[in-house]
Amino acid sequence: MIKWKAVALLLGLMLLAPFGVAAPVCVTDDQGEELCLDHPAKRIATLSPGATELAFAAGAGDKVVAVVNYSDYPEAALKLPLVGNHTRIDLEALLALKPDLVITWRTGNPPAQMEMLRALGLPMFAIEPRTFEGVSKVIEQLSTLAGTEQEGFAEAERFRKGIAEIAEQYRDAEPVPVFYQVWQTPLMTINDNHLIGKVIQLCGGVNVFGDMPRLVPRISAEVVLEADPHAIITGSVEGIEDNQLDRWKSYTGMTAVANKNLFFVPASPISRPTPRLLEASRDICQRLDVARERE
Amino acid sequence: MTRSLLVLGAISLAALIFALAIGSVNIAPSELWKVIQGEGSALHRTLLLDLRLPRTLAAFATGGLLAVAGALMQVLLRNPLADPYVLGLSGGAAVGALLAMLTGMGAFVISGSAFAGAMLAMVLVFGLAHGTGSWTASRLLLTGVVVAAGWGAVITLMLAVTPSYKLPGMLYWLMGDVSYARTPWPALVVLIFAIAVILPLARNLNVLARGPMQAAALGVSVRPLEWTIYVLASLLTATAVTTAGSIGFVGLIVPHMLRLVLGNDQRIILPASALAGGTLLVLADTLARTVIAPEQLPVGVITALLGVPTFLYLLHRSR
Repeated sequence: MIKWKAVALLLGLMLLAPFGVAAPVCVTDDQGEELCLDHPAKRIATLSPGATELAFAAGAGDKVVAVVNYSDYPEAALKLPLVGNHTRIDLEALLALKPDLVITWRTGNPPAQMEMLRALGLPMFAIEPRTFEGVSKVIEQLSTLAGTEQEGFAEAERFRKGIAEIAEQYRDAEPVPVFYQVWQTPLMTINDNHLIGKVIQLCGGVNVFGDMPRLVPRISAEVVLEADPHAIITGSVEGIEDNQLDRWKSYTGMTAVANKNLFFVPASPISRPTPRLLEASRDICQRLDVARERE
Repeated sequence: MTRSLLVLGAISLAALIFALAIGSVNIAPSELWKVIQGEGSALHRTLLLDLRLPRTLAAFATGGLLAVAGALMQVLLRNPLADPYVLGLSGGAAVGALLAMLTGMGAFVISGSAFAGAMLAMVLVFGLAHGTGSWTASRLLLTGVVVAAGWGAVITLMLAVTPSYKLPGMLYWLMGDVSYARTPWPALVVLIFAIAVILPLARNLNVLARGPMQAAALGVSVRPLEWTIYVLASLLTATAVTTAGSIGFVGLIVPHMLRLVLGNDQRIILPASALAGGTLLVLADTLARTVIAPEQLPVGVITALLGVPTFLYLLHRSR
């Protein structure tokens, strides 16, 4: 027996939805925890520079009311009130801005302060995308929480398509052994589980330290010499060449050095789990093409 | 004697009120009064009752715990350079806390680990110093210093192998941060309990300070008293470090500052240390969270910056 009243009610609600009736929104994060808000968030606090970028990408930029240090993209974020560093947050300043949603960095924010915020009843959503699909998903989730689904889902789809295009373009590209230098002293790199490692794979590169057990291993110069990568890449301010790769220049026996394949890419876009990974990927792919030419 | 304690008490109260009023959001005294009465805006109520009051009380308790522990250590070891951490308690607590952080535990387990580490350190040094032959303060000190160095090596090892994203959290714990304190009550209860236990023994402590032989000759049972002080000082330090990480300087300098002004009677110095240490840390914490807000500084930096000139001034004046 069809309950016509219920159907009518449902149809009525569906008709009203486009008129912005504030309905509860629920989203499940990547650890399976669900967050439900009574209505889409209007005042969002982002506790990492990546989260700030993702909030803007989701179309919720005008709802962000609190950011942390280094939230420098997009430019509009520079004008937003600061509440400290992602490792040490000024809880008073954060509370004074009355956020109704706090986007946290699962491993980057201090657990003691996060527990305190939770105890004070603030709705918290933890993010830490580890794959390209993860980035798209987070953008969609943030747009759902902020009620900006149209923009957010479109941006997520644009990102998906962009990544798929690059993947298709470089599917049969000749593999290039790559060493990505995260930091000079101590010498740090990333493995294939890191987003940077995935960018390298996308472009047909082979991360010589890809199967190391740790996400960000600390290595010695000797193992890099032993691995003999054909390209060495590092991030720098706006991709401008600096002295971070100077130490390798004296090892003229290294293939990368002999072929002059010491590359610099802009550091922020490749280090953050945001849509700018598309530009970062194109940068890296371009560099690897240069390396292929010089083989 | 009671006059100086009353003056210190008044200063402590003023410092507490100052700390409650000042912050990233300044709360006027009239607003403060409203919140105490049960009214006031929701934001002010949350800021005051959920954030600032617990933090300020925790700072006061931690400062008091460290200062009293420092005074006790200086009496026990008969060495003016003794501080609460000299026997490796903060090292043990740090290893416990860092291990918990390394394995991704929550704040409660981190605190519990820190406390367990400190207790382990206490038992370890107790056991090692006890040994054969006569026990002396210098033997305890040497054992403690060496064990502390051992803990330091373990901490360095842990810092070297930990994944980089965990490092800031660990470093901030090592620097000491009152904002980690979830609740001030354990620290306050331990402080009050300790003062209650030690005050009756204070006169014996005065005698002990002259040396164990003289103390024994004057009828003080030296060994039980020394172990009581050791366990009590360890408990105080463990509680302080569990609450707010290893905050330096307070335990070493506050008793000396008070001795320069009030003399060396333990019956005054011990309660005065509790009040003065608490006040110093409350003021330092207020500065740490406001001076470059919204950036937050570790409180240990401020205690040293405040304490060093104050101590040098007092030292100079006493010449």
